Amino acid sequence: MNLFELQQGSSRELQMFPHIVSTGCKKNQAIQLESFRESMSEFIRIYYIIDGKHEWRIDDENFHLYPGDTVLILPGRKLSSEKGFLEIGTLAWIHFKIEVLEHNKFIPGKWSSLSESECGTIGNILLLNRPLVPSKTCDAGRVLASLQNELLNQEIAFYTRVNQLLDEFLATLSRQLAKEGNPGRDFSKIFLQLEQKLRDNLARQWSVEEMAATVGMGTTLFNVRVKSYTGFSPINYLINLRIAESIKLLRKPDLNLTDIALDTGFCSSQHFSTTFKKLTGHTPREFRKKNTGDS
Amino acid sequence: MDCIISIELGTNAVRVYAFDLQGGTIGFAKGSYPTFHPSPDYSEQDPEQIFITMLYVLKNLLNEKVHSKNYKVLYICFSASMHSLLAVDKSGAPLTNLITWADNRGKKEAGTLQTSPESDEIYKATGTPIHPMSPLVKIVWLKNQRPDLFQKTDKFMSLKSYIIQQLTGRVILDHSLASATGLLNIYKKQWEPAALQYAGISASQLPEAVPINHCPGKLLNQYRVSLGVSASTKILAGSSDGCFATLGAGVWDRHKATITIEDSAAVRVIGNSVLCDKKRRLFNYVLDDTHYVSGGPSNSGGIVFEWFAKQFGDFRNAYDLETCMDDLIREASGAQPGAEKLLFLPYLLGERAPIWDAQARGVFFGVNINHERKHFARAVIEGILYEMYSIGKMLQEHRDIKELSINGSFASLPFCTQLIADIFHLPVSVGTNASSVSMGAYLLTATEIGMYKNIEEASRSVTLTETCKPNTHNNNIYTRYYSVFENLTGKLASDFEALANL
Repeated sequence: MNLFELQQGSSRELQMFPHIVSTGCKKNQAIQLESFRESMSEFIRIYYIIDGKHEWRIDDENFHLYPGDTVLILPGRKLSSEKGFLEIGTLAWIHFKIEVLEHNKFIPGKWSSLSESECGTIGNILLLNRPLVPSKTCDAGRVLASLQNELLNQEIAFYTRVNQLLDEFLATLSRQLAKEGNPGRDFSKIFLQLEQKLRDNLARQWSVEEMAATVGMGTTLFNVRVKSYTGFSPINYLINLRIAESIKLLRKPDLNLTDIALDTGFCSSQHFSTTFKKLTGHTPREFRKKNTGDS
Repeated sequence: MDCIISIELGTNAVRVYAFDLQGGTIGFAKGSYPTFHPSPDYSEQDPEQIFITMLYVLKNLLNEKVHSKNYKVLYICFSASMHSLLAVDKSGAPLTNLITWADNRGKKEAGTLQTSPESDEIYKATGTPIHPMSPLVKIVWLKNQRPDLFQKTDKFMSLKSYIIQQLTGRVILDHSLASATGLLNIYKKQWEPAALQYAGISASQLPEAVPINHCPGKLLNQYRVSLGVSASTKILAGSSDGCFATLGAGVWDRHKATITIEDSAAVRVIGNSVLCDKKRRLFNYVLDDTHYVSGGPSNSGGIVFEWFAKQFGDFRNAYDLETCMDDLIREASGAQPGAEKLLFLPYLLGERAPIWDAQARGVFFGVNINHERKHFARAVIEGILYEMYSIGKMLQEHRDIKELSINGSFASLPFCTQLIADIFHLPVSVGTNASSVSMGAYLLTATEIGMYKNIEEASRSVTLTETCKPNTHNNNIYTRYYSVFENLTGKLASDFEALANL
């Protein structure tokens, strides 16, 4: 990899790409004390380790990084080094803007050709997985190198290629993250992790694709496995979870029905009421009346 | 046409069967729910999730297999796994998650009760071994560790009580499950004052204890409507899964025992009298007014082999555990009995009967440079079954067992069935029903309807497949290996404790 650095505002190469804040490849040959101060930013920062062993700290967690590892730092997270300086070695990086919305949704920007639901899935993985340090991501390293070459060489149709490669970079990292620690053996364990994520984010409008992607599986295999493991389709499993949670909330007389509906992921109180009644025979209001003596 | 519904509230899933009056299966459906382990010793489930899962599965089964074929539901009969505890407040809202049988948070409380002067009286009166699984111990844990919740608790329920209360409004618990709480006097079939006093609660804080054929009333109107059943459909309290499995296994005679191996396992017998074990290793649970189910439970069932498969098996297809286990069993059958001197102690989850040691651990013993995966696979299976034999031996101190009947997904694997016959040196028959628990529920209900004179006659009607005969040559080998297995287990007790204290 060539050593270089491009900065938005000063580098002509980035003029057509306002979403890329900076990118480059750097070789650190000598330790400079106090050179690595804690930093936080509004954009997403991704580093790919090419050479050397690095000890970094993201928020309050320490990571030991080796060649082939990638580090993703989301907007608002703190990055620092355990020792206060950048260790000897080589790394490539890219910083770019994304907008993080509520419920783990993010918008990359007009440059991206990722669909809304794909963004949902990727956002989910990036925002729900801890830590964001997929290891041995050589594919990601290759994609980043091609992207940087496109920027530097500016051959025919490079505008499209750069943005495509940025999408590919996001997709590669998300797949790797979702598959990490999931060798295709213990479905019960994986399902329990998913269950916890669903419970923690019940208000989110989950699609089957998102659920499958969260545990690093393709949708087809995911559907088959969930059905044989639980007896339900993924969506029905989720609906049951929503109703079970709503029962708990309905027992608390101070919550209003619309809030309960939205908190448990129903798109309206009408939808909540119909689904609830279909299974339990009474509306949420009737259930509450019977179980709290309150109307 | 009339039909009978059996609802099994199991450890991992609810299973619903629809039977015609002759006991033929009209339909089956299952829905699973997870167990949470917020701390290593904790095993909890979400009671609302179980309730909703049960409703959903029941409703679908009724729509697809019962209403569509014009069957009329005569009875709905319940069974549930034992030892669960749910603290509920005055308004009926759960204060805790459901604490399951596998929960070990009460280790210390169990130890204290074990050495207390009341322990002998409580064990003898209640039939429940003193162990963290026991709801008595769990209540004492709540009293000591969560006095705030303990004070607020209006009723200490079990899963079945909660589900039946949701459906009918009545708070009941059948004698069979009640006798697994450590709180019921198994002779008088009333809550035991000594146990209540030890727990620091009153009988009014427990469900009403009722016989297994008790009808707790009808379904509440809204459920009748949503499930589409008529006002004449009756509910039966039913029993524990263990007692129904024994009833459904057709082992009524004194010289028969039944071995159930699912994730966990048990060896059980039925009788008119309580088995008194001086070392307090056996349980005695109430079946009906005149019969008890006695035996020993083990944590080390199919779940241990599943662990082995997940760690060391080949997954030809992602997440396809079934094929992976089939392959390993085929591999294991290629090794000699005794796995060429490789032994396995299966205590991955500690153990209940016969050693009752929560600190016990799994051990491979005798590993040699020539051992291959097939030997390990075989050793794991043999280890699980030696453990069953150790419970069987304990029962043989009280009964002269001449025949075995087996059920459960692991025990009914043909390879395991033959091994059980060889290790016990007894003929083994296999139940022909998909679920002996639900068969038990059917038999009880059919007796209620008047199809059988009593449950004894009902149980004797169970047809068993041709028996699997023991191989004497192999039995000689297994007997010698078992004595090493038994020695090792005894010798390692102090080291298990030392390891736990590191």
